[in-house]
This record gives sequence, structure tokens and C-alpha cells, in this order.
Amino acid sequence: MSASQSAVRSRAEAVKVSRTFDWLILFTLFFVVLGGYHIHYMLTGGDWDFWTDWKDRRLWVTVAPIVSITFPAAVQAVLWWRYRLPFGAVVCILGLLLGEWINRYMNFWGWTYFPVNFCFPSNLMPGAIVLDVVLMMTNSMTITAVIGGMAWGLLFYPGNWPVMAPLHVPVEYNGMMMTLADLQGYHYVRTGTPEYIRMVEKGTLRTFGKDVAPVSAFFSAFVSILIYFLWHFFGKWFGGTSFTQSS
Amino acid sequence: MAATTESVRADAAEAPLLNKKNMILGSLLYVVFYAWVRWYEGIYGWSAGLDSFAPEFETYWMNFLYIEFVLEVSTAGILWGYIWKTRDRKVMSITPREELRRHFTHWTWLVMYAFAIYYGASYFTEQDGTWHQTIVRDTDFTPSHIIEFYLSYPIYIITGGACFLYAKTRLPTYQQGLHLQYMVAVVGPFMILPNVGLNEWGHTFWFMEELFVAPLHYGFVFFGWAALGVMGVVNTEVIAIAKLLKKDLA
Repeated sequence: MSASQSAVRSRAEAVKVSRTFDWLILFTLFFVVLGGYHIHYMLTGGDWDFWTDWKDRRLWVTVAPIVSITFPAAVQAVLWWRYRLPFGAVVCILGLLLGEWINRYMNFWGWTYFPVNFCFPSNLMPGAIVLDVVLMMTNSMTITAVIGGMAWGLLFYPGNWPVMAPLHVPVEYNGMMMTLADLQGYHYVRTGTPEYIRMVEKGTLRTFGKDVAPVSAFFSAFVSILIYFLWHFFGKWFGGTSFTQSS
Repeated sequence: MAATTESVRADAAEAPLLNKKNMILGSLLYVVFYAWVRWYEGIYGWSAGLDSFAPEFETYWMNFLYIEFVLEVSTAGILWGYIWKTRDRKVMSITPREELRRHFTHWTWLVMYAFAIYYGASYFTEQDGTWHQTIVRDTDFTPSHIIEFYLSYPIYIITGGACFLYAKTRLPTYQQGLHLQYMVAVVGPFMILPNVGLNEWGHTFWFMEELFVAPLHYGFVFFGWAALGVMGVVNTEVIAIAKLLKKDLA
């Protein structure tokens, strides 16, 4: 093509073309990232995210933030560092939550008939907002990893507490003490998932008192910081524009 | 003025930069087709999909599998063959406006890829989780697998391959070699399909319970990361389009 030619005939057309591409890019990025993030999250933290009786104070709090900070870190590495768009983490979480909510309604409830208040997804939005705001305010990957990553881990349980608290109240059923969430799992039988493979709090952390969730959240925050660093660089690589020369 | 009038006439007669009709029809194709698939699952999953030894399973599910195999191979062959056969042999000498038009067509393909990836990696994959954690499997070809692995995954592979081939055969931007991140974005999700081999081998060998986060599934996770390669495609496209527009859009 000629180096002196423009593909558009006026500034107005250039603006229109540019805005149209913005929408096409946003749509594509949103749904492709949604797909990759969702398959990653469902297969690394999914069981804790699917069912309320897995949403305990120890493993859910530990696993979910660690495995979910990955894609937000990678997408921030492109959206902020190349375009100064301060919503990399939020757009990832919006995508993940959209994919999850559609699935829980259409398939968990619509196909296999589990009630939505037994299989709703975890809320990751508070951590995502903080992660984006820290990056926007500091313009520093290191501070975002340390402060934002820590907030990501620490905010997860409080961010879900208003939804989960009513399901963690104790009930006595056939002479046994359990939570309402456990009772849901007891009634809605998952034939392929017998009770003995459920990985939930076993009580050993109570050796230090009853502070299970805070200890788990701090451990999760620590690992989230490390994962953020790692995935930031993954994101930089995935955002590359390099070509391999054919031999 | 006469020349201007001619030019305006020529503009009016030429093809639009973005063919919205193709975009809408393509999107509807995915959405309506998958709505029908979901309806089929809802009806025949429970009534004919619980026992792989039952005759109705053969009728409603194995036949579905055989038909989709044939259609997928045919579609891939025809579509990829057509894009390759009709490639532009003088791609480096097209006008900037034609190049911009082709970028729009390329993005129409990428939007279709977004639909295909969403349905494959998100919708039908998590759906498989709830099916298997609820119904005990007695075959590799369960109703959810026949849709997830052997329908929705091939469809995004076909769509992704078409995107890549279109870019490679019609856009000057992609003529300097093979775009690494684009290949990752297309080949990575493609590798999820061969990874089904590991998955089914493991499920058959151990006949284990349905823990969705089991390490056996981590191959899917690894190749799912490759979807992030779309960010490299976006960056390349933004650079190319900005060069074509040559306008200060601030």
C-alpha cells in the first residue's frame, strides 16, 4: 500500500471506524477471556465455587483467590500497560461471573435441577475493584502485586460473607450438628460426587483458636501476591506481537 | 465538482467497510444453533442419555455423534479449503481502503470466534461439570461430552482456524511470518481437543469420582490459558489499524 494514503476519507469517518473497532475488540476480548478464564477457574477452584456446602472457612477461602488472580493480572498487563485502561481485573471478573451465572441458571438449575441458592458462584468483584484502583493510583506493578494482591486474598471472604452467612448457621438434623449449607448438600445428592471426596475444613486450624477464615485469607493473600507477579509477566508475553519466520 | 460527484457515486456503489449483515447473520447462526442444541440436551439427556447400553441412547446420542463428526470434517474441509483456495496472491499491493475493509471482515471472524470460545470453553464445559457430578457415567460418549468435546470444541477450532487463515491469506499485516500469539490463541484451544484423549483415558483407567478440580483435568487448564493470546492479536490489529487510519483521533 502507499505510505502516503489513508484508508479513510475524512476525520469523521476515521473516528467512526475507530469507535466501531473499539466495540468489536471489546466484545471479542471480553468473551475470549471469559472462555479461557472460566475453564481455568472451574477446573482449579470449581468444586469450591459450585456448591455452598464446599464454601467453608478454610479451603474455599484459600483456593479461590489464589487461582482467580491469574487472568486479572495478565489482562491488566495489557490493558493498563499498553492502553492505560484501568479495568483489566474488573472486566475479567465481569466475564467470569457472567459465564458462571448463565451456567448456574441454565444448566445447574435448568438441566440438573439444583436450586440456585445451592450453586451460585463466589463474588470476586470487591478484590477486582481494589486491584484496578491500586494499579490506577500507583501505576506500579510491584505495589499492585503486593497491596492489590494482598487485598484480593483478604477481601474474598468478607466480600462473600453477606451471602454465605445465613447458610453457615448451625442446625441439628437427625441428631447431628451441621450447617444449613451442609444440609443442602445432604438433600441435593450429587451421585457422581460422594461425600467422602468433599474437601472442606476439617478443624485442625482451630488449634490456634477459632480464627480459621483470617488465617486462610492471609495465606491466600500471600500466595496471591506471588501469583500476580508471575501472571503479570505471562500477560506481557501473551500481549506480544512477535512473528516467527517460516524456514 | 463533477469529479467529487463521481467519487461519491463510487463510494455509494462500493461495498461497506463493515458488512453488518454478515455480522448479524453469523452471530445468529451460533446463538440459534446452540439454543437448539441446549433444547435437545434438555429433552433427550434425561429421556435417552442415562444408560449408554440402551437402544434409545444409540438412536438419540450416538447417531448425533456420528452426524456431527461428518458435518464437522466436511465444514472444516470446505471452509478452510475455500479460504485458502481464494487467497489473494497479491496481498501486498491492495489499497489501504481495501485493507481496512478486510480488517473489518477479519474482526467479523474474530467476533464469531468469541461466540464459539464462549460456548465451548464456558457454557458447555461447566455444564459438563454439573451433568457428571449428578449422573454416573458409563461411557466416554456421554450426552454432555457429545456436545462439549465433539461439537462445541470442533466448532471453535473450525472458527479459529478460519480467522487465522483469513488473516494469513488476505491481510498484509500477517505476511511477515507466522504471528506467534495468534497461533497460540488458535492452536492452544485446539489442543484441548486432543487432550480429551488424556481425559478419557484417565476416567476409564481409574473410573474415579467426579472431582472437577482433579489434576487429570489440568491439561484443559493449561491449554485454556492460550486464549490469552487474543491480547497479542488485539495489539497487532490496533497497530495496523492506527497506521491505516493515519488520523489523530484524540
